[in-house]
Amino acid sequence: MADPATPILELRSVAKTYAGGVEAVRGVDLSLAPGELLALTGESGCGKTTVLKMINRLEQASGGSIVFEGRDISGIDPVHLRRQIGWVMQGDGLFPHFTVRENIAILPKLLGWDPARCELRVREMMKLVQLDVDEFGERYPQALSGGQRQRVGFARALAGNPGLVLMDEAFSALDPITRDTLQQDFKRLQGELGFSAVMVTHDMAEALIMADRIAVMRDGEIIQQGTPRELLQAPSEAYVSQLLETPRRQIRAIAELDA
Amino acid sequence: MNSNLAERFAELPDLLSGHVLLSVAALFVGMAISLPLGIFAAPRRHLANTVLNIASVIQTIPGLALLALMVPLLGGTIGYAPAFMALMLYSILPILRNTIVGLQGVDRGVIEAARGLGLTDRERLWQVELPLALPVIVAGLRTATVWVVGAATLATPVGAPSLGNYIFAGLQTRNWLSVIFGCLFAAGLAIVLDQLIRLMEVAARERQKGLAIRVGGALMIVLMAATLPRFIELPANAPAPVLAEGEAPTRLRAEEGALQGARVRIGAKAFSEQYILADLIETVLENEGAEVERRDNLGSTIVFDALRTNEIDISIDYTGTIWATIMNRPEPIDRYAMFAEMSGWLYEQHGIVTLGRLGFENAYGFAMRADRAAELDARALGDLAVHARDLQVGGDAEVFTRSEWISTRDAYGLGAMSTRAMDATFMYDAVRDGQVDLITAYTTDGRIAAYDLVVLNDPLGVLPPYDAVILLSPEAVARAGLADALAPLVGAIDSTDMREANRLVDLERQTPAQAAGWLLNEIGLDE
Repeated sequence: MADPATPILELRSVAKTYAGGVEAVRGVDLSLAPGELLALTGESGCGKTTVLKMINRLEQASGGSIVFEGRDISGIDPVHLRRQIGWVMQGDGLFPHFTVRENIAILPKLLGWDPARCELRVREMMKLVQLDVDEFGERYPQALSGGQRQRVGFARALAGNPGLVLMDEAFSALDPITRDTLQQDFKRLQGELGFSAVMVTHDMAEALIMADRIAVMRDGEIIQQGTPRELLQAPSEAYVSQLLETPRRQIRAIAELDA
Repeated sequence: MNSNLAERFAELPDLLSGHVLLSVAALFVGMAISLPLGIFAAPRRHLANTVLNIASVIQTIPGLALLALMVPLLGGTIGYAPAFMALMLYSILPILRNTIVGLQGVDRGVIEAARGLGLTDRERLWQVELPLALPVIVAGLRTATVWVVGAATLATPVGAPSLGNYIFAGLQTRNWLSVIFGCLFAAGLAIVLDQLIRLMEVAARERQKGLAIRVGGALMIVLMAATLPRFIELPANAPAPVLAEGEAPTRLRAEEGALQGARVRIGAKAFSEQYILADLIETVLENEGAEVERRDNLGSTIVFDALRTNEIDISIDYTGTIWATIMNRPEPIDRYAMFAEMSGWLYEQHGIVTLGRLGFENAYGFAMRADRAAELDARALGDLAVHARDLQVGGDAEVFTRSEWISTRDAYGLGAMSTRAMDATFMYDAVRDGQVDLITAYTTDGRIAAYDLVVLNDPLGVLPPYDAVILLSPEAVARAGLADALAPLVGAIDSTDMREANRLVDLERQTPAQAAGWLLNEIGLDE
């Protein structure tokens, strides 16, 4: 892993303007230290998913620069770039015609690993996400629960041993109990493997609980970034306070009932 | 076994193999074109819509028309080429449409996952999109298979042997067993191929290698068994066919034949008289040592195109037909002048030689039941004018578009009559049973006498003459001995003999070969 002082990912004045002149993202500056988890949050349509997709070039930035591990990504072949960056998406995005084992092994296979090494990696990844290989290895995704599918999604994203993982609303389709378990499991995985991550979520509570740092977006711009504590103690504007108010009110309401 | 059934089985190897080869080749090439085209077009909305529209237009052309159109488009070639082209075009739409729809229907989330994981476009296509679209694509292939195997029966009129020969010939000679035989084998073939493709898809989806191998093997066996007769010569010492009663004995005096070893192709249109005359010519030529190939059931203008382009060597046609539909001359003229002018025109324009008239005439004649004619007091066509409003005339598919119908109608004031086109086989029964009042009968048909029909007089001489003539293709003219071998037929068959031979087939259920044997004996050519 790189020197902790150098960021693994840096976005400088990144912008995205669609044909027809719609400005989805304007002047976004972000920096991610090795091992750090950054949450991008904000309401639907604020541009957070567009920022995420520009990092692995699923969308092309129309202005500014994105530097990954010291190189400007515009000079890296998109396929090559994506194979170095884990990708976990909303729902799960598993291939329905592949078994759990084949879904997890897809990137190692594309990277040309020999079958024995692929199989070893599958076992390792399934153990990490706490799925029994013998029980689940040969199952197809439709025979799994939502939580199990998302675990396979994590295992697939991490199988290529990426330094950076991107997550687009990875927990939002899960029931609350499963979501809570998986959030903790993800933090544990990150601690064990040491990768950096950028997660997009519209759920402020999720961002506060999981992230090392939070960037709040509104209308294509970052309006505040900082640690969860910094945000809670010094929201830069009323909109941020408003976003923080929802989890706070829920906690108060529960505390009153519990009293 | 019933002799009719036995004969149908005897024809099966040739017709089934022709049918299978044609369908499979058309499907294979159709798939080779439409799969890549569909894959290329699917992500490009405009292109996808355009190619689907073009394929839909082709699909809306009725099968028979598409097949027939291919003959002039391919410069008059008959046989496999036009049939293959038409069926191949026919197979494109279902495969193309399902490829495009199947690929466009793949879940967008799954595609984004594939891109996000770092699959190249090619890897995404082969590992994700095609496997997920496979059931839809295979459904298109199955539709195409059933269509093409069914439509291949229509290859018969353009000269490609297929199971359609059973249907077309059976329809013309009222041999319903033959029609059913052809339908059953065509349907059976479609079902077998459809189910084998379905099992292939199951094997692919469930990744059952064993099943895939078994199904692939079964497919190979079916295709090989069906097409084997095309590729192996039947053993030379095959037992001589047993002659049916009344069939002409084929003399094997090959060593003295003037046409020893020559290959001669005879074309025939799709009705009894043509089959009988083709059988008769076949016997005459085989007696001279020639090897005869038959192209039966050709469409009326297709047989002429085939002759013009040397695809066949010999055909029997009729002066009035050539005059009206080939030469496009609206007004008929005197019988002898027409023959002379037609012969000259055919030679100058196409190099086709008119060997001579066979002796009989097979004209259109307006026939009605004798009791009905008496009731209306009708002896000549003009007598019908006063009843025209209440009368319906039945005729074959082409007669009502021909100039002789229009001039007859106008000359005798029959414009108020309603017309009803049908297959020629059915019109005699229709007039006998009173479903139509009169028909445009063929004057040599045995059913005119048998059903007690009368042919109304044509005192104004509006109906053109239809003398049967033997035509030779430009290349056949130069064949030594061919014209000589056929010369004894000129002027040898009168209308009475021809009508009786037709009656033997249409009413006595004899085979055309048996009737040809009777005719040869009657005209004293069987020595």
